[in-house]
Amino acid sequence: MFNLLRMDLYRLLRSKSVYICLASLMAASVLCFWMVWLMGTPEGQETAARIGMTAIVDEGGSSQTGESGEEGVMDQSMLEEYDTLLMFREIGMDGGAYALLFGIVIALFFCSDYSSGFMKNIMSLHRRRWTYIASKLMAAAILDLCYLSIEFGFCLLLNVLFHNLVPAAPAADILFYLGLSFVVTMGFAALFLLFCTFTRNAAAGTLAVSLLSSGILVILVNYITGLFGLNQWVSYTLYYNQRYAPNAYSGFGDLKGYAVGAVFLALYAALSAVVLTRKDI
Amino acid sequence: MEKDIKKQAVLAVETISLSKVYKGKAAVSHMDMKVQEGAIYGFIGRNGAGKSTTLKMLCGLAKPTEGEIRLFGKSAGDPVTARRIGCLIESAGLYPHMTARQNAVMKAKCMGLADPNAVERALEATGMNNTGNKKVKLFSMGMRQRLGIALALLGNPDLLVLDEPINGLDPEGVREIRQLIQRLNEGGKTFIISSHILGELSKLSTHYGIIKEGNLVEQLTREELEQKCADYFQIEVGDVKRALPLITENMPEVQAEVCDNTNIRLYGLKEGSGVNHLLIENGVQVYSSGFHHMDLEDYFLARMDGSRK
Repeated sequence: MFNLLRMDLYRLLRSKSVYICLASLMAASVLCFWMVWLMGTPEGQETAARIGMTAIVDEGGSSQTGESGEEGVMDQSMLEEYDTLLMFREIGMDGGAYALLFGIVIALFFCSDYSSGFMKNIMSLHRRRWTYIASKLMAAAILDLCYLSIEFGFCLLLNVLFHNLVPAAPAADILFYLGLSFVVTMGFAALFLLFCTFTRNAAAGTLAVSLLSSGILVILVNYITGLFGLNQWVSYTLYYNQRYAPNAYSGFGDLKGYAVGAVFLALYAALSAVVLTRKDI
Repeated sequence: MEKDIKKQAVLAVETISLSKVYKGKAAVSHMDMKVQEGAIYGFIGRNGAGKSTTLKMLCGLAKPTEGEIRLFGKSAGDPVTARRIGCLIESAGLYPHMTARQNAVMKAKCMGLADPNAVERALEATGMNNTGNKKVKLFSMGMRQRLGIALALLGNPDLLVLDEPINGLDPEGVREIRQLIQRLNEGGKTFIISSHILGELSKLSTHYGIIKEGNLVEQLTREELEQKCADYFQIEVGDVKRALPLITENMPEVQAEVCDNTNIRLYGLKEGSGVNHLLIENGVQVYSSGFHHMDLEDYFLARMDGSRK
């Protein structure tokens, strides 16, 4: 299994998609920090006015900064509610951008074994197919850890570059939230692995990633079941636990996200192993 | 001598009633294949006869519906035994955005090879060591096949399963691969090769297996094939229906085979004048006659037609 993991890491390091998706996340972070600075600080608002953006004060007194006055709503006092963790969440986690980009990388990574035919080389050597699933999930876990740490580290760096735009979050909260995000995104990774093992097609895998990680599917099904008052299940989905994860640990109930992520991770990994064992290469 | 006898007795591959059923249709049916260690086993059959399915099962890529596979006397599921096989099934499985060396390194890592020179040796053996930074997606079909063989050679396996290994190779490439296979075979490696290029296969194979509609209809050695392909006497007559019983009744030691409305082939005949006399004396017109020789292709086609048993 560790031979397979070594092979996977060798390939991950040489995959362009890994760097492209990470760069996209970082670019989104830069854009978000810049926009918040532009709208939420006096220097930023001066700059915005200088570059031709207009500031409109509405009846309620809140300022709107934007080319047309229709976009970019932010009260300066709102910044006080923000910290580095909340900024990190707003940029990539809550809207599903992180899960989407991470999902695309791993879906392409999983499916290319099939599309290239290299799977034949692997499976002729590793007859115990669950080792393949385990190594793929371990590679995804390493990538997930790297992505989360780099992205969060980059947010901290941006905060420093923007003259400490928002206060730093407590370290314990950061660890709690990053740990929860890691477990939930690994649940997503196992789901994408199941899809790729089943369809063996990069296009189908990427489509599944788009529908699942962005929450489109959950929102749609939630809406339909909600019509009949049957939508309690939604709090047990990966998307919900990613979107509405608590910022800090305040009680036993806050560990629900960990449990949901871990259960789905184990379930999807087991199903992937069953599918792979039953299907010929 | 004793060593040779012992070696001959070991079977590199043995399948016992091996079957594979896809959606109710048997792709391979109760196959009992036996490949001796050190042999080059030519596996012949029409498209869709079940060759690739059989080879996939040997390499662990397809699960048999029924039956057993034994490799070097052990179960095929044994992880140590699995490492003694190198496979090239259908097209070579390669990452297109990687170079030849990177693909080989990937396979070496997958195998956990400790020898740092193993990749270089395998690439050198197939002439793929000078491709530099060229990506596999820019390779010709022949180059991909060579790289596929290089990957199969990694880890110095004892058994190489090659499905259509010379597909897409130029004549020079075909000769190089033939020489490579012969050289490796001399070093003791066993080969199972499936190919439609029967002329090339007959230059290499020491043993043959013929598969038809999922059934292994015949397994024979090169010597046995040569015997079966030995000279036959073909006679063109006016009336086959009269000629055939005359021959079979008067010459019971001869095996007769009707080719078409006018031609009969006779196997096991030393000289032809006796047959000619027999037919003419009994009023059967003889238009032409003479001795001929079959090659592997003729034999295979005859076997597929079902005219030879």
